[in-house]
Amino acid sequence: MQKIYVHPLPVRIWHWTNAFGFVALIVTGLQIRYVDLISLMSFKAAVNLHNWVGFVLIGNFFVWLLFYLFSDKIKVYHPELSPMKHFRGSLRQLQYYGYGIFKGDPNPHHVSAYHKFNPLQSVTYQIVMLLLVPLQFFTGILLWDLKHFSGAVEFFGGVRVVDTVHVLLFIFFVAYIFGHAYLGSLGHTPTAHFKAMFTGYEEVETEVERGEPAQTLT
Amino acid sequence: MADDRLIQINPFRAGWHTISMRARNGLKRENKGTYMANGRRDRAWTRAKFHMGLIIAALASVLLFPALFVTAYAAENALSEADKQCLACHSTEGLEKKLANGDTLSLHVRGEVFANSVHKAIGCAGCHADVDLKTHPGSVKNTAKNAREHSIARVAICRQCHEDAFKQHEQSVHAARVKEGNLIAPVCTGCHGSHSVTPKTAYETCVGCHAAALAAHQKWLPNASVHHEVVSCAACHAPAALRMVDLRLYDRVAKVWLSEKEGQPEFEKLARSADADGKGLDPMELRNLVRQINRNGNGNGAPPWKTLRGRIELRTNVEAHRLSGKDAAIRGCDNCHRSGAEPFQNVTVSITGSDGRPIRYDAQKEVLTSALSIESLPEFYAIGGTRSKLLDVLLLLAVLGGAGGTIGHWTLRKLSGRYLKKSESAHAKPGDQGRPSPGNHPDNGAR
Repeated sequence: MQKIYVHPLPVRIWHWTNAFGFVALIVTGLQIRYVDLISLMSFKAAVNLHNWVGFVLIGNFFVWLLFYLFSDKIKVYHPELSPMKHFRGSLRQLQYYGYGIFKGDPNPHHVSAYHKFNPLQSVTYQIVMLLLVPLQFFTGILLWDLKHFSGAVEFFGGVRVVDTVHVLLFIFFVAYIFGHAYLGSLGHTPTAHFKAMFTGYEEVETEVERGEPAQTLT
Repeated sequence: MADDRLIQINPFRAGWHTISMRARNGLKRENKGTYMANGRRDRAWTRAKFHMGLIIAALASVLLFPALFVTAYAAENALSEADKQCLACHSTEGLEKKLANGDTLSLHVRGEVFANSVHKAIGCAGCHADVDLKTHPGSVKNTAKNAREHSIARVAICRQCHEDAFKQHEQSVHAARVKEGNLIAPVCTGCHGSHSVTPKTAYETCVGCHAAALAAHQKWLPNASVHHEVVSCAACHAPAALRMVDLRLYDRVAKVWLSEKEGQPEFEKLARSADADGKGLDPMELRNLVRQINRNGNGNGAPPWKTLRGRIELRTNVEAHRLSGKDAAIRGCDNCHRSGAEPFQNVTVSITGSDGRPIRYDAQKEVLTSALSIESLPEFYAIGGTRSKLLDVLLLLAVLGGAGGTIGHWTLRKLSGRYLKKSESAHAKPGDQGRPSPGNHPDNGAR
């Protein structure tokens, strides 16, 4: 096994702040929306906590964004420009999760410092980080001060429209957290990827250990 | 109504300013051009334009200014002959009398204001039955020592017709302050005016005295400004009263409440035809009504600019008189922000009538929570309280799908792992390395 450094410190700080922040936002969001069903804290406390955590995560988003903008590690997010290549890679990855993994097949994706995401991850993370997360922050800010942003709220169709977008994204993130945490447990040991997100080092098999020429997706 | 009339004057003034400013700006621009071109014709043209501007402005002022008096006269003209007889003297500005302590009691009544009040129907004699025209003036014995005592004494007249509101008011913080001798606590006329009596639920009535209310609420209430817009003061400050949601038609473009044209009421007819079963507008019927209202005079295909804006009010305004201080007022967010909250059990759709009073039509409470409301009620939403059932179902599916999917996948991995191990041990040969178990392949380097 070989250790390779794939998660730089700013990414790890961003990731865990984001992870705990998202859980906090989901819990307080549930409390705000379902005050008749959940009694973890008062509605007002939930709103205040939700607002504070939201702003921390908006700041945290810029940690992620600025790190990647000013680092060569941004290559990990470079999209695969050949649609066919991307489609084949995604299909291979889906085939692995849906079938190969049950037969004990190896993961078709091999991690390296500048190529840490499989094709499914790269497309998912780009949509999540560049579209859905900013949209969630944006709608959250509008809802935080409806009077101040009344022009924008009206432009987007009204408070119910803005809130519906916010809640739809919230529903997506609830499902996403389940999937993300579970897929994170599919390393060579159930905790391998979690450890890597703390230490920064992923343990990967060398080509010799695999006994086969390295598979590349690019 | 007097204030409304004043506001009507302002656009005229703005128009005058606009005209004169344009004339001046035109002069300035043209002067510059003249000096640059150094031509007499240009200067002559500039002067002509300036003079034309002045003439237009003068004509506008001559034609429009009397229009205001015509409007006021028309309103006054709608009064009965008896009332006009009273106003013959009482419309005189500065008419007043001195009370025992030297306080001045104004006897001046603006006829057009009274003509627009709800008391126009009962006329002057409705409240001033003690006045005998044969001996008036001089017969009225006002024994009040001061203006305050006079206002408090006149409450008895309001009570003759508004006993129910009076009883509610008696239990209010306002009545308590009056009894304590507070000199600024309002009696009936404090909020409703004396001759301009109109129903008062407007925010402006309360902040007329409680000017610091918004700042005080901002200290503890998130989105306090929005709460002040969509929740009437009485909804929280009359805690014993029952609440409802009124959805009022609003013009998004002109930024004014829609109102019925005098003599051509349409809203109720449209609502009645939309409400097929007569049980109140359901979500689909409300959506159709909003579409219909937007089609009437908006042109097909244009974006809907007539919308409904919601406001939490009291079911009966009588109860709005039992106002409490901040200690007894509702502060708990979950009074509204919970599913099935009391204010959302009764819903009306309304338009401002030609007399300024709302014309209401019942709607079913489901209009607040239906998925269709995103079209018909995009501008009214109380987090938690009017949440969409469809989104609740989607969230449940997301949780079940997320948890079920991961548990299902994990179970399949474990089962297939056991099966693989069994089949491998059954077919094991000496020196066979075996296959790794599912999901734990050493090279599963990515999620």
